Amino acid sequence: MTPVLVVAVTVTAVLLALAGVASTLARRRIGLLHLGGAALLEALLLVQAVLAVVLLARGERPADTPTFLGYLAGIVLLPVAGVLWARTEPTRWAGTVLAVAAGAVGVMVWRLQQLWEATGG
Amino acid sequence: MAETTEERPAAAGGPGRALVAVYGVFALAAGARAVVQLSTRFAEAPVAYLLSALAAAVYVVATVALARGGRRTALVAISVELVGVLVVGTLSLLEPAAFPDETVWSTYGRGYLFIPLVLPVLGLLFLRRTAHAPSR
Repeated sequence: MTPVLVVAVTVTAVLLALAGVASTLARRRIGLLHLGGAALLEALLLVQAVLAVVLLARGERPADTPTFLGYLAGIVLLPVAGVLWARTEPTRWAGTVLAVAAGAVGVMVWRLQQLWEATGG
Repeated sequence: MAETTEERPAAAGGPGRALVAVYGVFALAAGARAVVQLSTRFAEAPVAYLLSALAAAVYVVATVALARGGRRTALVAISVELVGVLVVGTLSLLEPAAFPDETVWSTYGRGYLFIPLVLPVLGLLFLRRTAHAPSR
């Protein structure tokens, strides 16, 4: 759980959300840009998940471990779910669906960081 | 804004998708929270945690009903949601001792950027706006 990674995830998520909203406003479906952005976001989240699991395995424990694990698993699934859904959505609203998923990631990553820093005894 | 994409009923396609997406995220968030709270520390604040579970169930029902186009079910679920967030939000301000731990609806959903307060209003507006469409 490094702040650099959290910021990188946030920036990517925000850009992806903006791209999604932009495609809806432009009345277009999602394109390669969105898929690439989602792939980058997912890659960052996977790095973060691996890092967190390594730290957990070394014995570091956030105060609320079950919640932390729930967020860690949920956040990794979100971009995948967003892309799968957006690709089956044949209207310009596909971008908005992706934007919602990206926005949720952007919020959840900070909650995740918060949970991690609240280290329990 | 003139819509050209609304050929399918209710939230099966078009802008309703965005609403369903947000509802889906909340169903997931509230559900996960309720499961963790109930399974790890139910005794600490049973009322708050049962409310979390209720909220989660309502979000799940609303999500499915909106996605499938079950207008009546969606209307009931979203109404319950609106009443829930208003009642719990007010109670959590007047009687903080009754809610020792946060629920999705505490303080009108402040922990979730007040989205729990805005979402049912959007949902009801959406249902009203699409009321003329043939329902399934």
